[in-house]
Amino acid sequence: MELTRLPFLKSALKSRYSQLAVFIVMLVGYIFVILAGLIGTPVGSHNFSIVFVWIAWWAILILVAVPFFGRGWCAVCPIPLPGEWLQRGAVLNPPDKKPRWLNLRWPKFLRNIWLQNISFLLLALFSSVLLTTPNITGIVLAAMLFAAIGLSMIFERRAFCRYLCPVGGFIGLYSQTAPIELRIKDKQVCVVCDGKPCYNGASTVGLDVQRLNPPLSANSNTGYGCPWDVFPGGLTKNTYCGLCMECIRTCPHDNIAINLRPFSADLAKPSTRLDEAFKAFIMLGSAMIYAGVLLGPWGAFKDAAYNVGTSAWFIYATIFLAIIFAILPGFFWLMISLTSRPFAKHPFGAPIGRGVGVRKFASLTTALIPLGLMFWVAFSLSFVLTNATYILASLSDPLGLGWNLFGTANAVWQPMLTSILAPAQTLALVGGLIWSARTAQKAANEVKVSSVPVVIYCFITTLVMLGLLL
Amino acid sequence: MKRSELLSRIFITVAVLGAVGAPLFVWARTPLIHAKVAEDGGWNPDVIQANAGEPLFLKLTSDDVVHGFAVGQMDMQSVDVLPGKVSNVTLTFDKPGIYTFFCTRWCGLNHWRMRGTIEVSGSPSDHEPALSEAAEPLYVTLGLDIDAPHDALVIPRSQPSAISGQQLAANLPIDLSTDYYRAYSPYQVFDELPNTSLTESQSWDVVAYIWQSNTTNESLSDGQQLYAQNCAACHGENGAGNGVFADDLAASGESSMQTMAGADQMTMQTPVDFTDPTRMLGASPALLQGKILRGGMGTGMPMWGSIFTEEQIWDLIAYLYSFQFDYHRGEAQ
Amino acid sequence: MAFAPFPVRPIAPQERTFRIEAGQFAYSSSEIKVNPGDTVNIQLVSTDVVHGLYVDGYDISIEADPGQTKTLSFVADKPGSFRFRCNVTCGAMHPFMIGKLSVGKKVWFYRSIGLSIIAIIGFLKFPRRPVLITAH
Repeated sequence: MELTRLPFLKSALKSRYSQLAVFIVMLVGYIFVILAGLIGTPVGSHNFSIVFVWIAWWAILILVAVPFFGRGWCAVCPIPLPGEWLQRGAVLNPPDKKPRWLNLRWPKFLRNIWLQNISFLLLALFSSVLLTTPNITGIVLAAMLFAAIGLSMIFERRAFCRYLCPVGGFIGLYSQTAPIELRIKDKQVCVVCDGKPCYNGASTVGLDVQRLNPPLSANSNTGYGCPWDVFPGGLTKNTYCGLCMECIRTCPHDNIAINLRPFSADLAKPSTRLDEAFKAFIMLGSAMIYAGVLLGPWGAFKDAAYNVGTSAWFIYATIFLAIIFAILPGFFWLMISLTSRPFAKHPFGAPIGRGVGVRKFASLTTALIPLGLMFWVAFSLSFVLTNATYILASLSDPLGLGWNLFGTANAVWQPMLTSILAPAQTLALVGGLIWSARTAQKAANEVKVSSVPVVIYCFITTLVMLGLLL
Repeated sequence: MKRSELLSRIFITVAVLGAVGAPLFVWARTPLIHAKVAEDGGWNPDVIQANAGEPLFLKLTSDDVVHGFAVGQMDMQSVDVLPGKVSNVTLTFDKPGIYTFFCTRWCGLNHWRMRGTIEVSGSPSDHEPALSEAAEPLYVTLGLDIDAPHDALVIPRSQPSAISGQQLAANLPIDLSTDYYRAYSPYQVFDELPNTSLTESQSWDVVAYIWQSNTTNESLSDGQQLYAQNCAACHGENGAGNGVFADDLAASGESSMQTMAGADQMTMQTPVDFTDPTRMLGASPALLQGKILRGGMGTGMPMWGSIFTEEQIWDLIAYLYSFQFDYHRGEAQ
Repeated sequence: MAFAPFPVRPIAPQERTFRIEAGQFAYSSSEIKVNPGDTVNIQLVSTDVVHGLYVDGYDISIEADPGQTKTLSFVADKPGSFRFRCNVTCGAMHPFMIGKLSVGKKVWFYRSIGLSIIAIIGFLKFPRRPVLITAH
């Protein structure tokens, strides 16, 4: 169902003013969060930056934005904005004179999400310190902002967002499960379109307006090419589209739409990329490790995770990486290679060997995408419901200076809805298991193997997660 | 450039500058006293200026764990200083001098080191001595060496009962005055009791009675509260020297404490066991007062001279003897 | 299955006392087990700074300063697995200072395993047959 058919929605999404208003609010909020982290109280639970980033924003992200809106957060994220405004030379429509920045193409060998895998892991290994220390959160957020600005001065488009952002890596992977998508309406229109302004940008500068095919209509906006380095005409999955709406503005044929669709429609076309496969293992593994270390009763693990630089932490980090790069993928590979059987009757007659190639491996890890998402939902529900009341106190006294802006500065810490937590986590994890089993079946069909080993793998990891959380 | 672009840029610039400037501005204008555990620096700032007679407004916050704030030698309710929150305290000082403020909620092994000073200036009023001219403590007047060993040579076999002692003492010429009680240890009093037909155990009961006569219920309960809040963490909730920090004190050795020259006998010891009759019964109230006032000179025992009032220390001492003497057995319930 | 009543062997309730030392950032006895109906006394001994102990699900709590042990008493009438956590800010890792209280069987854990097993059996018994397709 095409959502952009609703005129109100379409004009709101296309308008640069409404988008700019949202951007300004987000950017001001982001800057305030950085400052609160740097000059506010060092006590994490009472500092606006910790509470609003790791409790409020994280809750909205993993419980609402990603499952229901895919890359919806990317659409409003303030990190790329200052760099992009400088790069484009304008905050609204394209200027008459384009500024001359380097605009280099991103290097080919880095055109994957391995850098994002690494940046996420870096944050994950230091997460105990990051989640509890305001000035570290402030520094990391500031570093991301300045990295994005710097990269925009050197490379074209949103290089930080597409290739470096630790959050973008998993939002992209999990956005395949979301029920909305941005797609073209009619392929034939793109075939005959001259200039592909959705990718290359459209301005009247340097164009012979008389000879445009199709002609510039009164409705066509000028606009920029896709900042995510995606060709909208070829979009079949959500993974790399940041929902910035630029192509919808730029397309002179009004051929791009936002559609409502069933959940995880993209997973019917499994990706065969190894970087995405490992992203799935990274997310799966880190959810399980966090559930054990942060929410478990074992104080020694927490000390090891927090005391960065000690030998205990090095052991912790090594085990962390071993689980993610060796144990989880190794066990997966073992399952599918020991038990992979071709179907008895292959449609084209030729038997398929028992070996497992990279493509098969990567395709089958598609099943871990909904599994990992629900692992994170189940984990996040626990610490969000437990600590959500900190949001009230830090709203009224964000810097810990003794204010009481909304009268809630003395709100007592009180876990919320703890009676529904266990049923909710059960629902999430069992639901995730069912979802991933279905996904496994579809992916296995694509590569002509049995889905049984993957389903059993999902079952075993779900049992571990259930044991850690419940 | 189009007008919409220009206006948007101006708006963004103003918003961003405001987002940076406003928090910095208000933060710089809010002077806070930060509390951190002593190992991380303690109070910051730890010296505060004030004027006698003028109210002093303080804003306190903790940067790590639960702390508390109170000013020594003043009758004030302590104020909790909580992590991430700000507590407001208003103090008014009548007399100039140097006052000590201190942490009132245990925050680690070195909790007692979390102290600072308030320097109150102004002219001393004529009829009251300025703070620094306090009376000399009793142990100094008596010439007691509070570091010398003070073991009782004879100890009771069971806990002496003050009630029994009261009955036994009915016809004995004993001195129940405060001055006598403070100057002598229970063992000395035991030893000095006039020759009578009392057994050893009965003599101890009489001593217990003498001690009870110098103790009120109120002083016992005040002493108990002071003990629980200030002493139990090291000396144990039941006085046995086995508080939660006892092991840490023994282990930390000299590294966290200054040791005096020739301080072999003074190096880190485990906290005193108040249930041990040999040491306790050989200590006079004056000696105990001296230890409490001056601290342990390298043993880890804090000095409380600037913190407790004289009355508080006598109350605490009264409570300490209740580990040795039974003030209630035989009472009508 | 999700809400079926759990088969429980009734055990006569006892009174149980646990002495739990709290230090940054863990409890000395971080996993305690009781039977449903037991009267539970938790003596909280703080060993470094002020700590608290809050029991999820029961919504009861206590806090203790070092040197002043406090006792939390309650009847464990709700079965299941409950986390207890520190409710007095005690340093950086305070939000993760957690222990687990098991009252009887871990009800939701077993329920969820049961549901998962049913789901998996369903998938293994009724796999989707591949549809013959010529082009995507």
